[in-house]
Amino acid sequence: MLKKNPHNIRRFLNFIPAMTIAGLILLPIEVSATQLHASSEGIITHQAGHFFFLFSMVALIFTITGKDLNKQKGWRLIQYSAFFFILWNLDAIFAHFLDNQIYAVKIENISLGKMRIITNNDSSLLAWFYYILKLDHLLCVPAILFLYKGLSFLVDDQKKMMAKKGS
Amino acid sequence: MITSFVPILAVDILGSIAMVIIALLSFYKARRLREMDPDNAVFHYLLWISMGLTIFSVSRSFGHILRQFLILTSNAEAWHAISSYTGSVNTVSFMLVGSITLFFNQSWKINEKILTGRKKLENTHIELMDLNQTLEHKVIERTERLTSSEHKCRRIFEQSLDTIIVTDSEFKIMEINPAGIILTGYTRDEMIMGKMTAGNFFADFSEWEKIHNKIASKEYILNEEAEFLRPDNDSLFVLITGGIDYGAFGCAKTYHFIIKNVNEKRQMERQIAQADKLAALGELSAGVAHEINNPLGIILGYTQLLLKLEPEHKDDLKIIEKHVQNCKTVVSDLLSFSRKGSSELSIIDINKVVDGVVKFLSNHSDFRNIEMSLNPYTEDRLNILGNEQELGQVIINLVINACHAVEGKGNIDITTQRTDQDKILIMVKDNGKGIDKKNLTRIFDPFFTTKPVGQGTGLGLSVGYGIIKRHQGDIRVKSSEGMGTLFTISLPADRTMD
Repeated sequence: MLKKNPHNIRRFLNFIPAMTIAGLILLPIEVSATQLHASSEGIITHQAGHFFFLFSMVALIFTITGKDLNKQKGWRLIQYSAFFFILWNLDAIFAHFLDNQIYAVKIENISLGKMRIITNNDSSLLAWFYYILKLDHLLCVPAILFLYKGLSFLVDDQKKMMAKKGS
Repeated sequence: MITSFVPILAVDILGSIAMVIIALLSFYKARRLREMDPDNAVFHYLLWISMGLTIFSVSRSFGHILRQFLILTSNAEAWHAISSYTGSVNTVSFMLVGSITLFFNQSWKINEKILTGRKKLENTHIELMDLNQTLEHKVIERTERLTSSEHKCRRIFEQSLDTIIVTDSEFKIMEINPAGIILTGYTRDEMIMGKMTAGNFFADFSEWEKIHNKIASKEYILNEEAEFLRPDNDSLFVLITGGIDYGAFGCAKTYHFIIKNVNEKRQMERQIAQADKLAALGELSAGVAHEINNPLGIILGYTQLLLKLEPEHKDDLKIIEKHVQNCKTVVSDLLSFSRKGSSELSIIDINKVVDGVVKFLSNHSDFRNIEMSLNPYTEDRLNILGNEQELGQVIINLVINACHAVEGKGNIDITTQRTDQDKILIMVKDNGKGIDKKNLTRIFDPFFTTKPVGQGTGLGLSVGYGIIKRHQGDIRVKSSEGMGTLFTISLPADRTMD
């Protein structure tokens, strides 16, 4: 029988997880085996990642505005960068939705310079929309470029501030 | 729909390369920012975002370029095999960027706290600088005032014509000003290094004990008169004022004394008192002598007549004559002292007078064991207008007194000098027993003598005093017991020969 000693009780509680892990390894039964994952989990996780990224960029835009940082050119450019990342995320989400989730669009390479876009209902509008979505670098390159410019301006501002302090 | 693959391929490849390059440049800029202000949490945040985006860009661009390469090289299967890995890395990387981005608010708050703290620190620093500057100014100002005050005190101490002495609690000399060094005759080292006490200056230690007791009871003394003895045995009268300083800022207790030299004043007062006294005695003596002189003349005349007429009473009459003659001598001396007598004055050379006295006395039997030295002034003739016989009498008197003082064996120095004030000095100095302090003021009084009864009339110095005064001169004595005596006669030089 355990004595009512707080040290002994703590030692006993620490012992429980170790016992559980040992039991799971040594006594494998069906219930406690690793759950199997469907292949669609990957794309859903990826899409969730895009949503999360998009959400964080929206949050960044509002935070910068909320703190009146957008009065500085550097932070304003970082806001633009966030905006372009939002657009890029939307672009990626749509593209992944069409080709990986509902399989509405498929690409086949015919030759080195030609490709075929196959849509479920042979919709050329959807094909063109998908074609434009595939040019996502036109969104993410400006996004990162705005970030670079924004940081450059912040560096310049900081230099000016330091020079002012120094003088 | 069949369409050109080239725009997608070109945008994908070039865009991927551009993404990597620009992301790296962004990372570099973010690092620069952090280096410029390492304490800025927002700059740290930007660095983390840039790093996340760089990882994302590299991972994504690598995946895209690899995909295009594998598809174009008809290795679509291989791409399908690795696409899930590159996709996962992409997912992780932009989730990472998203996570970091969401920390902006926290970063901002941390930074604000840091900035507020820094601002407070700067304000405190400025306040401290101000306080420090104020303190420095005050210290400089106080130091200047203190230096000025110390300089004033030092000047007073150094320039004071009165002696200022600071002693410790045991009255050992700690500080003495230059006037004190002149007054006491000791060097600073002798006094301070030699640990002399204030009591060492006193001629009579009992005087110091009295002063010491007074300070102990009243904590101060005011204008106490005392006599100091210098190392050359000169004594001088001083007035002492002093008190205790209990000290400030942990300093030990000290005593401060201001000592005023009143020697000349006291001597002058004594001389005036002496002169007044002797003048009064002179008047009295002159009156008595005048009244006695005539009857003595009649007694002497009749005695001499009886000697011729009554030869049988010759012996008795001779005794009367002798005593009357003695009385007449005393009366004559009294008249000399009172300066009532008249004498013929001529220009005489003092050196010759002194020389004659020395020659006359050196043959006397009393001077057999006495070394007499004569130091005459030879640079000029020492002429005065006076009576050679009377002055000779005065000098003989002084030398005989000196002979008695050395008790038949010792040194007698006779010196003559001429001063810048046209005074001629005759100094007779012996190394005899000296004169008792209490007798010093009475030695010129008529009939005052310390010799046994019958050996002196007590008129020698009184007569000498009268003669010198009649010659417009002055006679002074300086003596200390056991150290000898110095008589100084001062006479006005005759300027008719100049």
